[in-house]
Amino acid sequence: MLKPILLVEDNPNDLELTLIALERTHLANDVVVVRDGEDALDYLFSRGRHSDRGTGNPAVVLLDLKLPKVNGLEVLREIRGDPQIKSTPVVMLTSSKEESDLVRSYELGANAFVVKPVEFTHFVEAISDLGVFWAVLNEPPPGSMRSHRKHG
Amino acid sequence: MSHTLNAKADVEANAGARLNASLDDQLAAQFEACSTEPIHTPGAIQPHGFLFTIAEPSFEILQYSANALDLLEPRTGHSSPAGSSPQPGDDPRAMLRDALDQIIAAARVECERAQDLARPTLMGIFELGDTRFDAMLHRSRDVLVLELERAERSTGEGFAAMQSLVRALGEGTHRSAPLSSLCETAAREMHRITGFGRTLVYRFDADGHGEVLAECIDGEYESYMGHRFPASDIPSQARDLYLRNPIRIIPDANYTPAELQPTSARGVRATDLTFAGLRSVSPVHLEYMRNMGTLASMSVSIIVKDRLWGLISCHHAGPRYLPYSLRLAAEHLGQILALQIESRESLREAEHGLTLRRLLVSLVTSTAESGGAVESLADAPEDLMRFGSATGAAVISEGRLRLVGDTPPPAQVTALAEWVALQARDVVTTDRLGEVYPPARAYAHQVSGLLAISVSQLHRNFVLWFRPEVSRTVLWAGNPNKSATRDEGDGMRLHPRRSFATWREDIGGRAEPWRASEEAVAAEFRHAMLNIVLRRAEEVASLAGELGRINKELEAFSYSVSHDLRAPLRHITGYADLVRDYDGAKLSERGVRFLQNIKDSAKFAGTLVDDLLAFSQMGRTTLRPTRVAMSELVQSIVRDRRMDPASASIEWEIGPLPELIADPVFMQVVMQNLIDNAVKYSSTREHPRVEISSEDTDEAHLVRVSDNGVGFDMRYVNKLFGVFQRLHGMEEFSGTGIGLASVRRAIERHGGTVHAQGELDRGATFSFALPKAARATAAGTPHNEA
Repeated sequence: MLKPILLVEDNPNDLELTLIALERTHLANDVVVVRDGEDALDYLFSRGRHSDRGTGNPAVVLLDLKLPKVNGLEVLREIRGDPQIKSTPVVMLTSSKEESDLVRSYELGANAFVVKPVEFTHFVEAISDLGVFWAVLNEPPPGSMRSHRKHG
Repeated sequence: MSHTLNAKADVEANAGARLNASLDDQLAAQFEACSTEPIHTPGAIQPHGFLFTIAEPSFEILQYSANALDLLEPRTGHSSPAGSSPQPGDDPRAMLRDALDQIIAAARVECERAQDLARPTLMGIFELGDTRFDAMLHRSRDVLVLELERAERSTGEGFAAMQSLVRALGEGTHRSAPLSSLCETAAREMHRITGFGRTLVYRFDADGHGEVLAECIDGEYESYMGHRFPASDIPSQARDLYLRNPIRIIPDANYTPAELQPTSARGVRATDLTFAGLRSVSPVHLEYMRNMGTLASMSVSIIVKDRLWGLISCHHAGPRYLPYSLRLAAEHLGQILALQIESRESLREAEHGLTLRRLLVSLVTSTAESGGAVESLADAPEDLMRFGSATGAAVISEGRLRLVGDTPPPAQVTALAEWVALQARDVVTTDRLGEVYPPARAYAHQVSGLLAISVSQLHRNFVLWFRPEVSRTVLWAGNPNKSATRDEGDGMRLHPRRSFATWREDIGGRAEPWRASEEAVAAEFRHAMLNIVLRRAEEVASLAGELGRINKELEAFSYSVSHDLRAPLRHITGYADLVRDYDGAKLSERGVRFLQNIKDSAKFAGTLVDDLLAFSQMGRTTLRPTRVAMSELVQSIVRDRRMDPASASIEWEIGPLPELIADPVFMQVVMQNLIDNAVKYSSTREHPRVEISSEDTDEAHLVRVSDNGVGFDMRYVNKLFGVFQRLHGMEEFSGTGIGLASVRRAIERHGGTVHAQGELDRGATFSFALPKAARATAAGTPHNEA
């Protein structure tokens, strides 16, 4: 069983487009979707409404930068601060190529920083590359969980 | 000068410096002794009168001058009342004793009148035998001092003299007359009243040297007009005495002092004779007088504002006596002169102070109006220099120097300002800068007088006024450096100088001294400027805070634009793609075209957002200048364009390009935009041609990009570099209209300029010039435009 991809995205349009893009990559991984930073952390720490999900880390976290409640950078900091999940790959997805966001993301230990291209075909290509690298090629850290695809 | 003790040198250093190098320590010790000689308690009097000291309340005689033996026998006991005295008979001693009893009785009455008797008061005229005496009484500490002097003429003479004095000097007519004429009148009046052969009015300068301002002399006397007498001529304790007792007379320098004798053990004391007219003077001084050819002298102090301003000094070749009444008149003359001088000085200072204050207000106001920069003082050079009655001035504001008028070169003024800063005083003045700051000797002709205010050490604000050297030749009455001579015999005894022959000295390195009113107003000026500087600093600080806040807001704004505006545009293109992918087959050809238009518009909007953000960033980002090889930069851009089929047909001509000190990212933006423009507007030509060249001037590097494209109408040249300004329709040439605006902003951030030259249908040339000495201020400060 492949580990799931955790997609953290609040915007419904972006969510739909990203899921379609993921679909087109033909990855076998399940995609778990959460809609804000707090929910993402609950999932990662198996707490709140995710307390019964069991343990295990996702193959990769696709993390939007601008999120309600707890923003992407804060989620990233929490992830990198916890010994259990800190080695989980995190890819920042963002609308902007604002330099300060990029610098800050890498400082906090993001594995990649992807500016969502305007052209949808380009977006599909970007997501596909990411998926192949992080969900397939990259050897997951020990303790990573495998589960079925489900939409949170 | 007749009345001075000469052989003294003040213990002060400058007097010490005057000492001839040959004078050994012992001689120096004598100078010291001279200035500490207790001249107010000489224990003797001049023999032209008689002196008695009397105890109170017993009225017992304590001391008598030895010459009084000529008059009477010492009385040891309590004098009996006048009425019960023994019969006088023919015994002259008894007669004299009787007369003295009368005088002492009068003294009792005088004391009962409750006068403080601080100064000698004429009690009346008494006869002793066939001689008439003026009897003067005053109190010295715990004893009464009784002086008897022969009354030679009628006392009415003195009063007549005083009346004429008041007429000559006391009236207000002299207020407008120059000081010299006032002093001339005083010298003439003194000469007339006293009959001394030479009367001088002279003033002490800041160093204590006396300068003769006016004189009145009889024919045979040598003129001392304009001469100076060294400060060492008058020892410090003599000056103190002159301040307390404004008059003293020596009728005959060849006199033999009459010692004060005690009548009993109680009379053994050093009576203070400060106010006694008969006080004996130092033998050194008598020698000084004889050296000067003067046997009689008198001097009257001119005391202005409790300071010994000068003296009226009278000399006579032979012995000359002046009775009490005339001395009183002479003393009054001194007082009237002093009052006149004081009122003139006050008036002059007040008028000058008023003028200065007006200038101050005008300078301060214009500085405040010009935004508070101390620097702007230099914009009104005439007023600034007039304020300090200066021929040059320097304004140092936050380290920047501005010079007006006649000044030394900037480097020397800067060094001088540093010295001023080290003084750590608000106002620094000197009229002989070279003495306190030796480097200034090199430019003494421009700056010998300095008035400097340190407005704010923190902000490094100084204002300096310069006065030039006023070279002058001073005529000394004798060489002031040889004020004492050694005795040829024993080699150790100190003698006053013997020569009063004119001795010339050229004095340099001095400027017109600064007046008290100038220093006072300078301090006010400093205060006013400080207020302005501080207020300005506050304003700048609050402005900086405001700018910082606006910048933050702007950043937040553009951040939000870049995220939130791009997302929906991306969604539009994304969904348009999806519609085409999933349902493209169901759409009509027109529907597919509409979909494409939707997508293109969204994409264009995305580009617009990106360009705008880049443009905004160009204004805010800090420049990071480094060496940029323009040749390489241009080659790499051109390489890309050559690969692009759309611009493959262009003929490139690239000349040698300079190396610039600039921000490479900015320069990339500049060249990319200029080259893309050239490519774009020449693309419609059959043989498109783009030329990139450069030119060097002394001040700037010039880079040009020319094309043979559609060109533009020069009427619209001013619109070219504006944001969103387009001279062509969208269908003709695509573009957001931000490219050239970005070019201009990037170049202007570097302190450079942009230029465009074109003709419709005949191509265009865009160029920029970067100054060779890149301005430090321009490099570090981001603009605050959006």
